[in-house]
Amino acid sequence: MNSKRFSPTSSTIKSRFTRRFLRALLKINRQRTRTPSSPMEICQRYLKVKLAADVSMASTVGSRRAWSRAMLTKIRHGVRAGSTTSLTMRKRKIYHGKKSTKEVGIVGNAKMLRKLVPGGEAMDTCSLLDETFHYIKCLSTQVKVMTRIADQICST
Amino acid sequence: MEPNSASYVPGSCPTRPEPEETGLEFLQFRDEIQRLMTVPPENASSFRALLELPATQAMQLLHSSPHSAAGGGDEHKRHSSSSFTNGNLTFPSNKALIERAAKFSVFAAAAEISPETSSVPSNSSANSDKVKTEPAETDSNPGSSNKTQTQKLAKRKERQKKGKESAKKSKNESREDAEKLPYVHVRARRGQATDSHSLAERARREKINARMKLLQELVPGCSKISGTALVLDEIINHVQSLQRQVELLSMRLAAVNPRIDFNFDSVFATEGGPLIDGNIPSMVSPLMWPENPFTENRQNFQQQWNFDAVHQPLWGREEENHTFITPENSLFSYDSSANSASLHSNQLKMEL
Repeated sequence: MNSKRFSPTSSTIKSRFTRRFLRALLKINRQRTRTPSSPMEICQRYLKVKLAADVSMASTVGSRRAWSRAMLTKIRHGVRAGSTTSLTMRKRKIYHGKKSTKEVGIVGNAKMLRKLVPGGEAMDTCSLLDETFHYIKCLSTQVKVMTRIADQICST
Repeated sequence: MEPNSASYVPGSCPTRPEPEETGLEFLQFRDEIQRLMTVPPENASSFRALLELPATQAMQLLHSSPHSAAGGGDEHKRHSSSSFTNGNLTFPSNKALIERAAKFSVFAAAAEISPETSSVPSNSSANSDKVKTEPAETDSNPGSSNKTQTQKLAKRKERQKKGKESAKKSKNESREDAEKLPYVHVRARRGQATDSHSLAERARREKINARMKLLQELVPGCSKISGTALVLDEIINHVQSLQRQVELLSMRLAAVNPRIDFNFDSVFATEGGPLIDGNIPSMVSPLMWPENPFTENRQNFQQQWNFDAVHQPLWGREEENHTFITPENSLFSYDSSANSASLHSNQLKMEL
């Protein structure tokens, strides 16, 4: 009965994302060394997991959406740039993002949104809102799936 | 003919549909005029010819064509055809009007039937400056009939009340729009600015507002908020919180699993049912999805699992256990593709 659930015919974003993400998680855990984890290791693994989540989400969505395309190209370029610097850069981005919430007005908010949504820089406001809509949907499915996985793993 | 047309000028106004009846009238008009327009290219050719003909002959042609096209005794048809003829009868009063109307009729007919309007707009665009000098009444009828024709072709479907003052301007502007973009026809609202820039801006704004509404429904707690800026604020907060949640979860996943022992089973099953206990599986069948059996093994392991990295050394000891292989077997067999499952489990068995 349960085996039917594993059939590849189910094609919602949720199920496809789940599959890809779990496969990626398996890969990451295979790479894991058997030694007790240092914080550095955990940190690196966290980055890998996060990257895996982003990549699996973006590739599940495919090239249909501008934000997924932008995310995939960014990741591909980011891999070349090296992952060690990405953490600091990400921190800078986060802080910078916090500062610019003070920008007022619709235009300021639109700018802020462009920074948040991948690929949002090169879009007009109308399509930006479209992409935001789809992005929010996908992010929430991602969060749901990851919570469920985490609960499954951590639950007794 | 000319005096007749002159007498029709005051009479043409009442036949124009009242703004209150806009919806129904326009629907009827639209149907009728569509029927009219499906009359084959003789309309187009006749109107093209109009451009060269003098006023009287043009008017005769105009008289003849709608009469032939109107056909049956349907009220609406009569009404539309009469308004059409009224409009036509006002044409000869101004040659520029004829040509402009001709252009629109050709436009309407030819856009669907024959692509011959390219020359027409160029001809009439020269006369567009004469538009403003015309009296309002003569404007209204041909404008309304032409407008309803072109509206059907229009890709924009905005229809609003039309004030008399804005009517003339909107018609002028819509005609200019028609010359550039045949499918942008927007009826101006009463008392609102009607130049093409503001029309385009209004269209854009309405698109944005529609999408904002969708976003409001998506983001929880946003529907109560009024005002675009605040809604955008909420949306931004929501996106940020979602992204942070993803980061937290990935941190959690990275820290928790020394080795993920999933239950793909339960991951999908929680969409449906809870975990089911079962007996210990056999490792021999890699291709089967062991539904229940592995859970007990897993539960044994899971009881020792902790979130803290501190407790991971416990796992390190456990890994030496031969049963460590079992979950990995189950793990790999849970892989969604049966091929890789068999591969991995085969490899593991080799290792064993």
